[in-house]
Amino acid sequence: MVFQIIKEAFSSKHKNVTTKSSEIDFVTETDQAVEKFLIDGLKEKYPNHRFIGEEGVASGLKCQLTDEPTWIIDPIDGTMNFVHSFPNVCISIALLVNKVVEIGIIYNPVLDLQYTARKGEGAFLNGNPISVSPTTALSDSLVIMELGTTRDEEKRQLVRDNFNILQTKCHGLRALGSCALNMAHVASGGADLYFEFGIHAWDIAAGDLIVREAGGVVYDTEGGPLDILGRRVICASSIEIIKEVIPLLKQMKNERD
Amino acid sequence: MAEHLNEIYISVLELVNSGGKIIKEAFSSKHKNVTTKSSEIDFVTETDQAVEKFLIDGLKEKYPNHRFIGEEGVASGLKCQLTDEPTWIIDPIDGTMNFVHSFPNVCISIALLVNKVVEIGIIYNPVLDLQYTARKGEGAFLNGNPISVSPTTALSDSLVIMELGTTRDEEKRQLVRDNFNILQTKCHGLRALGSCALNMAHVASGGADLYFEFGIHAWDIAAGDLIVREAGGVVYDTEGGPLDILGRRVICASSIEIIKEVIPLLKQMKNERD
Repeated sequence: MVFQIIKEAFSSKHKNVTTKSSEIDFVTETDQAVEKFLIDGLKEKYPNHRFIGEEGVASGLKCQLTDEPTWIIDPIDGTMNFVHSFPNVCISIALLVNKVVEIGIIYNPVLDLQYTARKGEGAFLNGNPISVSPTTALSDSLVIMELGTTRDEEKRQLVRDNFNILQTKCHGLRALGSCALNMAHVASGGADLYFEFGIHAWDIAAGDLIVREAGGVVYDTEGGPLDILGRRVICASSIEIIKEVIPLLKQMKNERD
Repeated sequence: MAEHLNEIYISVLELVNSGGKIIKEAFSSKHKNVTTKSSEIDFVTETDQAVEKFLIDGLKEKYPNHRFIGEEGVASGLKCQLTDEPTWIIDPIDGTMNFVHSFPNVCISIALLVNKVVEIGIIYNPVLDLQYTARKGEGAFLNGNPISVSPTTALSDSLVIMELGTTRDEEKRQLVRDNFNILQTKCHGLRALGSCALNMAHVASGGADLYFEFGIHAWDIAAGDLIVREAGGVVYDTEGGPLDILGRRVICASSIEIIKEVIPLLKQMKNERD
C-alpha cells in the first residue's frame, strides 16, 4: 500500500519540496509520509524494535545502532529523481539484529522492481534468484558512480578525480541517482562495481545484504569491513575488482552517522 | 498518405514487439557472443544483427520500396544515405554495452522519415517494458499514456543526462571531462544511463530536463527527435542550429530557455557525418 503512495505522488509535476543539508538536498512530503507509515506499522507489531529512519534523523532523532532489532529505513532513496519524476526511486529497508543484516528489501514501485534477501537464503528480483556478474577485471567492468547532492567543494573535487581516474579503465560509467538501486544493479549482475562517499546507513543497509547474498562483496572504501554508519561504501561482483580499484581511488571521510 | 501511415504504424509496432521478445530472451544470458566495431569497447552482438535483420526483412516484405538505414547494415559497409523516399532509420539495440552487461537500459529505436521528416518514432525497452511512441502531430506516449516534458526552464533546476560514450578517442574523452566539469555545479544533478534513445525518451516523459551527446548516430536520435518534440520539448544541433539527423550530435530539452542557457557553456566537437 505504501508503494501506491509513492507511485501516485511520483507522476505529479508539482511536488512539495524543501531542502535539508544543501540547496539541492531535497525532502518531500512523500518521503516523510512513507517513513511515518512504515515506522508506525512496524512499531504497532513490534513495539520493542528500534528505528533509524532518514527523515527521523534529519528532524533530530539520534542515529544509534545497538544489538537490538533495528530497522534502517530510507523511505525514498533517489529523492532528486523523485522530485523530477525520473523513474529511479525506491524504498530501502533493512532489519539488523546484533548489528547483522537479517532482512533487506529494495523496492522501486514505479518500475515494479523488488529486490529482496534473507540472510543465508540468496537474493531475488521479483521472486526470481539473482546473482552478480562473473566479471573479475576492472577493464571489463560497468561501473556506477554518482555525483551526489552536495555543493561541498571537497566532495565535488573527489568526484571529478575519481571520474578522471576511472574514465579510461572500464567499459563505461553509469550514474542513476539512487544508492540502494545501484547496489541492486550490482547484485543482479547489471553492473560490476559501485562506490560512493557521503551516503548514509539507510542507503546501504539493505543493499549490503542483497549484494552479498547474490554472491558479491561489500566493503569500506579503503578495503576494511563495511561500517554501516561509516558514510561510504564500495561493492562489486568480485573481490578481484575491489582489490584492483581501491588503490586507484581518491578517498574521503565524513562524520559518522 | 495518412491512412497508409496508420497501416504502416500498426505493422511496425508488431515487428518491434516481436523484436523486443528476441532482445528480452537474450538479455539475461551472462555469456553473450560479442565482437567489436570501431574501438575495443564499441560492441556488437549476434542479437543486434538478428533484430536488425528481423525488422528490415519484415518491413521490406510489406513495403518493398522503402529504404533503410540500419546501424548494423552501415557497420557492415552499406551506405548511409537519406533521401526523400520513405526511409526507416533503425538501431536494433541502443545501449549495446548495457545489453552485454545485462544492465536493463536497452531499447529498439526505429523511425520512419518521409521527405526527410520523421513521421513515426518508436523507442521500446523490452526488459523494463517501456514503449515510447509518437506520430507526427499526434503527441507522444508511454505505453499508450500521453507524456509531456517537464515545466523546467532553468539549467539550475535541471536534471541533466550526459554520457561518457564508447570510444577511447582522447579528444572525445577530454570533451566529456570538460562538459562534466562545466555542468557539475550548475544543475540539480547528472545522470548517465548508456542509451541515447532512452535518454531522449526520459526528456520526452519529463524525467530529465536536458540531454546532449556528441558522436552518436542517426539511428540513435531519429525516433527520439519526434518523440521529444511531440511531447512539447525541443531538439537542436548542439550549436543551436536545426538538428541534422546525420550530424553526429544532438541536444534536447524541456524548453528552449534551457537550450539557450546551456549552449554557450558547452565545449563542442564535430564528427564525420553519417
